[in-house]
Amino acid sequence: MATVQNPSTTPLRQGVQPLRAGQGTSFLWRKLHSLLGIIPIGAFFIEHLLSNFEALKGPAAYGAQVKFLNALPLVRVLEWTFIFLPILYHGLYGMYIWIRGKSNVVYYPWAGNWMYAAQRWTGLIAILYIGQHVWRQRFAGVSLPENPGAAFAKVQHELASPIMLAVYVIAMIAICWHFSYGIWLFAAKWGITPGTIARRRFGYACGALGFVLLIMGLASIWAFISPKYRNAPENVTPVVAYLHSTAPPYAAIAG
Amino acid sequence: MANKTVAFEIKRQASPNAPSVWENFELEWRPGMNVISAMMEIAANPVTADGRGTTPITYDSNCLEEICGSCAMRINGKARMACSALVDNLEQPIKVEPLSKFPLVRDLQVDRSVLFENLKAVKAWVPVDGTYALGSGPRVFPQQQEANYPLSNCISCCCCMEVCPQFNDVTNFVGAATIAQVKLFNNHPTGNVFKEDRLRALAGDGGIQECGFAQNCVEACPKQLPLTEAISDMSRDVLIQKAKDFLRG
Amino acid sequence: MAAPKIIVVGGGLAGLAAVIKIAEAGGSVDLFSIVPVKRSHSVCAQGGINAAKDLKGEGDTTDKHFDDTIYGGDFLANQTPVKAMCEAAPAIIDLLDRMGVPFNRTPEGLLDFRRFGGTLYQRTAFAGATTGQQLLYALDEQVRRYEAEGKVKKFEGWEFLSAVIDSKGQARGITALDLRTMELRSFSADAIILATGGIGAIFGKSTNSVVCTGSAQSALFQQGAYYANGEFIQVHPTCIPGEDKLRLMSESARGEGGRVWVPRNAGEKRPIKQIPESDRFYFLEEWYPKYGNLVPRDVATRAIHKVVYELGLGLDGQPMVYLDLTHIDRATLNRKLEGILEIYEKFVGDDPRDVPMKIFPGMHYTMGGMWVDFNQMTNIPGIFAAGECEYQYHGANRLGANSLVSCIFGGFRSGPIALAYAKSLAAAEGDGGHGAELARQAEMNKRLLNNEGTENPFKLWRELGATMTEHATVIRYNKGLKRADEKIVELLDRFQKVNLADRTQWANTSFAFARQLYNMLELSRAVVQGALLRDESRGAHYKPDFPERNDEKFLKTTKASFTGSIEGPRFEFEEVDTQFIKPRARSYTAK
Repeated sequence: MATVQNPSTTPLRQGVQPLRAGQGTSFLWRKLHSLLGIIPIGAFFIEHLLSNFEALKGPAAYGAQVKFLNALPLVRVLEWTFIFLPILYHGLYGMYIWIRGKSNVVYYPWAGNWMYAAQRWTGLIAILYIGQHVWRQRFAGVSLPENPGAAFAKVQHELASPIMLAVYVIAMIAICWHFSYGIWLFAAKWGITPGTIARRRFGYACGALGFVLLIMGLASIWAFISPKYRNAPENVTPVVAYLHSTAPPYAAIAG
Repeated sequence: MANKTVAFEIKRQASPNAPSVWENFELEWRPGMNVISAMMEIAANPVTADGRGTTPITYDSNCLEEICGSCAMRINGKARMACSALVDNLEQPIKVEPLSKFPLVRDLQVDRSVLFENLKAVKAWVPVDGTYALGSGPRVFPQQQEANYPLSNCISCCCCMEVCPQFNDVTNFVGAATIAQVKLFNNHPTGNVFKEDRLRALAGDGGIQECGFAQNCVEACPKQLPLTEAISDMSRDVLIQKAKDFLRG
Repeated sequence: MAAPKIIVVGGGLAGLAAVIKIAEAGGSVDLFSIVPVKRSHSVCAQGGINAAKDLKGEGDTTDKHFDDTIYGGDFLANQTPVKAMCEAAPAIIDLLDRMGVPFNRTPEGLLDFRRFGGTLYQRTAFAGATTGQQLLYALDEQVRRYEAEGKVKKFEGWEFLSAVIDSKGQARGITALDLRTMELRSFSADAIILATGGIGAIFGKSTNSVVCTGSAQSALFQQGAYYANGEFIQVHPTCIPGEDKLRLMSESARGEGGRVWVPRNAGEKRPIKQIPESDRFYFLEEWYPKYGNLVPRDVATRAIHKVVYELGLGLDGQPMVYLDLTHIDRATLNRKLEGILEIYEKFVGDDPRDVPMKIFPGMHYTMGGMWVDFNQMTNIPGIFAAGECEYQYHGANRLGANSLVSCIFGGFRSGPIALAYAKSLAAAEGDGGHGAELARQAEMNKRLLNNEGTENPFKLWRELGATMTEHATVIRYNKGLKRADEKIVELLDRFQKVNLADRTQWANTSFAFARQLYNMLELSRAVVQGALLRDESRGAHYKPDFPERNDEKFLKTTKASFTGSIEGPRFEFEEVDTQFIKPRARSYTAK
């Protein structure tokens, strides 16, 4: 009788398949997703918050900041390469990651597992928010690149609606969370903080950063709804401003 | 005198394609009782709480000392070793289910051979020249031994994989256990001859990049392996390896 | 001619060691194991592995290791193979070291050694308190490498049922049962190596794993193989009593300074910490000043037995004594013993770093086993045995940390010898007996599956375990042994009325268990009757009615062979090879 040639165990017909050692490209796409979250998206996020912070100085300063940004060389190219496309990729691939994971925080309600789930939900909030934000603030309505002076009023109108205000506040919280935990995850998953103690310390640092960013973000929102700049002018730098008016824009209108 | 009893709810399934059913058992309490001894008791007296005859429960077990890694199952929803699950420390009724991420064989028995395949895929061994006398091994300082020893305590129970949200049949994630073994063998003075191969293997589909760092693995590991640290370290090494490979062309 | 095919049954240290040697020599191996090999019982070994490498400047030599082993085994072991083992041990440690076993180290980066029972030298290499696990993994990894290269095929989840023996009495293969599909198949091979471990399950609760039933040994015994020295069963002095099993508390706990004691007063009421030294009875240290807590296992076991049952000093009247580590600092304990201390903590709930452990002897190791010649071959040509399932290396009592070395040595020896045998084997006539053996097994399966009766196999097993533990462990009386044999006969009879609660043909554990149980029953008669015949005390075999060793009559290997009759096995005795060390009185009481 011949020795049986069949495999010794019934082959796995279902269930998780073994590692495809060294094969496929998912490593690259996943690492790209991870990296983009920090640079440029994270960097841009910080820049955006800093810019928004100018709103606390009033519509003119805010308008000037918007103008400055829009005056950068190759600004449209920069905008697409370093902001829109990375965010689009990070968001869509993030959703892809989400649907492939099976969250089980119900059974294992451990801190890291909650964070895992939170990172996905905050990511979802972020991408939905960013979608409407970019559409309504960048592409719809008054074109800010051409009318940077209209920036303050445009945002102020938006935040006049309590619903939109709530959306902005929630999104600000979610994005600050997503970003600061994202930095922490990046450090852990890229081997920058392998040890438990290092991770815990860096966790405090990320938490502090997230908190500062959140305060800055909420303060900027406050600038738009505070009584101080109520009913800001529709455009602090009217077309005449293009004619190299020497007077301060705000003064010009006031005058 | 009414004896103290212990209530069990056990998920049964006669074969991979059969429907699953819950069966309840009521057993006499004994001091030091664990989930395995309860199942031994059921085997000796296969009758459900409502007095119906049933079959003994099929489950994997061997050493009963939490060192062979056989008896991993979900007890009150959580993946753990049944032998070290003392009845007195569990909320009743004690619900026992098979691991959910592995092909079910019968009742509480599942097929965890994917881990052994993964260990093959990453060459988890030290390639010795031969078993003939070749003198003593490489020097290893106690500090290195103490760093590596915890990693070599992995009992292949697969709890880390079961609890991992990323370990599923969509991602085909390799799981923490294999990644820890890569670290162990890459740390060994002779084992590291395959270091590059192992790191490249881990960058394949289902590789280390699938980790979502939920850190459930390290919470669930019955042997307290430093799994997240291993994932972190190996992620870095894989990345550096891939970068080197890219730059070398 | 095709490359010779070897079947190895059992994937513990011995089996894997054999597989590695065969694969390395270019042979083709099929490896059968009930459990995935990485889950074999060898993982349970805790303390270490002996080799006289003399890295502590004590002047240890392989000759001293040899002498300790022979003396510890009360001169019952054949000396030629033991001598070879002790001489090979240092190279085995080196090999394991090269394979990556994380042995504990000295500050200079060399192997660290500790002292174990039955010796005065620090001869035991160790990897924390999980040496067996680390060794098994190292061999498992090497086998996985050969498996990946296609030189080894694993049949995990298959249970060996019997050997296929041709008309000339030579082995031609095995029959095995797929424990998942319940499929019965025969597999051909030119040689078979049995490496199926101990027989703990015969004693109900033991320190052994669930798969250590002795079923494979018994099946071969029933096919005509000799079973040797079956009466020699090691009862480990320090176990943690449990509901499902007895968990080992390694000898390394004593090797690192653990002290065994009971309060001097039976009714001691004070908390442990308030009992002064003067009221603590360190009986091993008092009775055996030279070896102290590190007397051989049989001696320690009988001392504990005596303290509990004769002196009535068991803790709170229970059969338990203290094993105390609390005088050693926590850092040292964690570094050297963490694994085993965790076991205690996990399964008992007390921290042994704070509270002395409560322990009691439990069945631990099978010194006896398949009779083999000096080439590891049984009396059935082509069937070899290695590891705990054979009888060669430990005589009447095994020294701590000698089992791992004997398993690996036996495996390493049997592999190449089996391969050489296989190469010289002439082709089988006809089907080599496969058809007939397959039919015999199919018939047995059918009968068992369709049997109508009232007996539950798991209950029969409990009765067997209780009987064996009561009559055939620490202290043996002929009356009790006779009663045990009668009980086994009764159980064999009741087995005919066994009724399986499960008659399905898919992963049916009761069916597999019932087959094992029958084999356990048949084999336990060889144990009990062997003990009955041996009217002396030697090593682990102790009869109060015959307290002395009797070399004139019993310096002999017991060989049991199966008869199939109601009287049980037939026994014969074989001279022991004592050419190197003249038997001398064995005593550990000297100062």
